[in-house]
This record gives sequence, C-alpha cells and structure tokens, in this order.
Amino acid sequence: MEIKLTPLHDKHIELNAKMHEFAGWDMPIQYASIIEEHKCVRSKVGLFDVSHMGEVVIEGEDAVELLQMLVPQDVYTLEDKQIMYGQLTNKQGGIIDDLLIYKYNDEKYLIVINASRVDADIPWIRQNAKDERFKVNITDLTNDYSLLALQGPNSSALLDKIGIKTESQPKYYCFDDYKLLDTNVMISRTGYTGEDGFEIMIKNEFAVKLWDTLMNEGQEFGIMPIGLGARDTLRLEAAMLLYGQDMTEETTPIQATLGWSVSKNKTHNYNGKDVIKAQLASKPNKKIVGFIMEDRGIARHGYEVFNGGNNIGVVTSGGISPTLNANIGLAYIDSSYTIDDEIDIKIRDKFFKAKIIKRPFVEKVNKIVR
Amino acid sequence: MEFELPENMLCSKTHECVYKENDEYVIGITDFAVEQLGDIVFVELPEVGTEFSQGDIFGAIESVKAASEIYAPVSFKVKTINEEAIEKPELLNQNPYRDGWLIKAELTDPSELDTLMEYEDYKSEAN
Repeated sequence: MEIKLTPLHDKHIELNAKMHEFAGWDMPIQYASIIEEHKCVRSKVGLFDVSHMGEVVIEGEDAVELLQMLVPQDVYTLEDKQIMYGQLTNKQGGIIDDLLIYKYNDEKYLIVINASRVDADIPWIRQNAKDERFKVNITDLTNDYSLLALQGPNSSALLDKIGIKTESQPKYYCFDDYKLLDTNVMISRTGYTGEDGFEIMIKNEFAVKLWDTLMNEGQEFGIMPIGLGARDTLRLEAAMLLYGQDMTEETTPIQATLGWSVSKNKTHNYNGKDVIKAQLASKPNKKIVGFIMEDRGIARHGYEVFNGGNNIGVVTSGGISPTLNANIGLAYIDSSYTIDDEIDIKIRDKFFKAKIIKRPFVEKVNKIVR
Repeated sequence: MEFELPENMLCSKTHECVYKENDEYVIGITDFAVEQLGDIVFVELPEVGTEFSQGDIFGAIESVKAASEIYAPVSFKVKTINEEAIEKPELLNQNPYRDGWLIKAELTDPSELDTLMEYEDYKSEAN
C-alpha cells in the first residue's frame, strides 16, 4: 500500500522533520527536540499536523439512533455545537476505537476517529446502519480535509490575532463554523495534550495557507511546530489513553477507567451493553492505573508488572514526563491494587520500583474556558 | 551536527564505536546513532570488571521515544564507566565522542577490530 501524505508534507520536509510511517501516513515525529517541543506546548503554543485523523459525517433522520447503538454514551444529551468523548464498542463491550462526536443538529453529526482505525471503524458503522435499517448517509471526509491542532496557553491569543476573536471562540468541548483566510473552517476547543487549545478542520487546499499564517503570526507567542513524539509525551502526562496501547478490542471502557464517560442510566440499547452494565455494577478484574517510577528506569509498552514476585499486569504506555522530570506510565493491573501501592516493573530482566499515583500526572496549569 | 572524529575510530553495524585514547580503548555510540535516537534520557552501563564477547548486549540507551540495547563491538572487559553520562544522558547528544563516551575497556581479542568498519564506510552503509 502506498504511504499517504498530508497536504502539509512538504512543510515538514522543509522544516527538516524526522518523518516516520504512522497508520499508513508519513508523519513528522519531531522537528527539533521532543523535550523542547513538549515544553513549548506547556508554556507557549505549538502547532500539530494531525491530518491523518479520520473525519466522518453521519447524517439523516436516524443519525442519532445509529450513534446511540455505537457508543455507551447517551448521545441524546448532546446539545448542538457540543462535543462528546466516546468509544465505539463491539458486542462484547471491547473498544473498537475512541472518538469525538460533534453534534451539528439532530440529523447531522461529525465523528473524529483514530487514523489507525479508519479502516476498521467505517465498515463497522456501515454494518450497524445496515443491520438496523437506519436511514443515514455516512461520508468519509478523511482524505478531503486537514486537521491542525493549536495547543498551549497562548493558542487563544493567537487565534484572536488572526481574526477569531476571543469572545467568539468556542468554549471547552464545543465547536463552530468560522470564516478564516477566505474559507470555511470548523474550530473546536479540544486536543490531546491536557492544555487549552483548538483543533481546526479545513479543506486540504487551504491547509498550507493556514499553517503558514499560524506559524508566522505565532512567532510573537513563541510558536513551534510539534511532532507526534511530543504529542505522545504530552498526552501521557495528561493521562489520556492511546488507542492500540491503552485500549484495544479486548478491553472495555470500564477496564480502561473511562467509566466517567459512560452513561450509567442510558435506556437505549448499544453494542456491548450487557458486559458494560455488569462491569459498572461490580468492579472489573483488571483496570488501568497510573504509576511513577521510584527507581531509575523507564517503563515501556509491553513491560510486565509484578508485586511480591507475582505477575499482576502489563505496562500499556510508559515514558518520561518532561514537566515532572520523572518517569511515568499507565498499566493494566489486577483491580485490587490502588493508589500508593508499590509495584515492580520488569525492565531488561531487572525489577524497578514504581508507585501507583493519581492521574493526571500533570494538573492543568492553565484554566480551560468552559 | 558535525563532530570532530576520534583518530582511527572503528564502527559496528549496530552503531557502536571503538577508538584508542591515551593507551585505552574507548567504546561509545556513533553520532549517526545519536542523531537517530533524538533526546537521550537514560543510559544503563555494566559494572566495572564485567566481560563481554563481541555481539553481547552490554547496556541500554533510551531516548524519549524508545529503548535501544547496545552491543559489544568487540570482546572487552570494563575498566571504567562514564558515571557522568549516567547522571546526564544529554551528554551523548552534545558530543558522543567527548563527554558522551560510555566505557573504557581492555580488549580481550583485539583481532576482532578487523571485523569493524572505518567511519566513512559505516556512514555510507548507515545512510
């Protein structure tokens, strides 16, 4: 299969980015140093090309009914121009993907899905629509639209400077359509960094102009282009889960400790409802926890977790926290373990001490506008 | 970044390097490896006195992105380890051939040096 390029690919090459294949796309991993890029997003503002993400529009009179079947969240509760975090679940309650659901109106929704799952999600959604004979149109916009993420405490001021005035900017987990650079864009106040920030969806042919405008006008705010390397360290500090590592088809939203996002009294049926309901009532056998390394060592995806010589689970994400200057991670372990418990991580056949701690690892320093 | 190369440095396919400095052999990783790894945040080295055969894993280097094992370019016995590089792994990024060296060693089979590559050959193969 041919590797896919975003409309900003030439920009990344020009900026001398280290490029790497990710979910079939040739994406920038880092432009300078991942640590510097990370700190720039925490303290100033960073610009990400996340055009590999999937965008799918679901419209028609049964649009909301289809979504209600697909996710354990109660989509009826969503207001126009609001966004909901959710998961596509299979019949066993396992997570097919996590996603954001944007409501335009009762008959039009946009979903933003992981690049690595587009090919799994869309056939699944179509199959569900067919099985239930829902009247919907499902349109994949992934290859027609680009997505730029502007993240960090200065992102609102930068948008204001380029014409999206502070008072008209969307609030946290809301979105709207705007005129920008003589075209239509959709801007949401969302992101994957734990900072205040926005994601801008724009037609491919305008993506370079938007990138250049943000980079040029953002100079005074300390803007830097940010690669997928720092995107990963930022989301890990914010304890946001990554599909394929922290969530898979074998884990349920409850095991992934996403219970907060699941509706407890949703009357509508949905895929995997029996399993998820049961896990909401009693606790699941395993769950995700956050940990910090006490011994000097870096935990990585796939490393085993022990306690008193017993294997109690596995690390799903691990790495460094540039903000805390410590090593942190997420692990699936036996549910009997809890905050402050000591665990051992097996790194290259040696045991390193770690402690279960509260998530997120890094609290939001900058107030998010709700 | 361009670094001044140690004289008569030899390199392995797995990106380690060996050179002689004041009658001692120094083992490290190449600037190409450092560039590929990006920010180096962790260095694990063996204890003084440990012996390794050519090709053995003798430690690990971790960047922000991933952990990489390091392999003995030739057979050696550890005489000194660079404690400062363990404390400050960023020294490897700053210059792998100066403060970012890893081990000073006694070669147990110096004839194995013949199996290594000159820097220029290594570099063209690595690219």
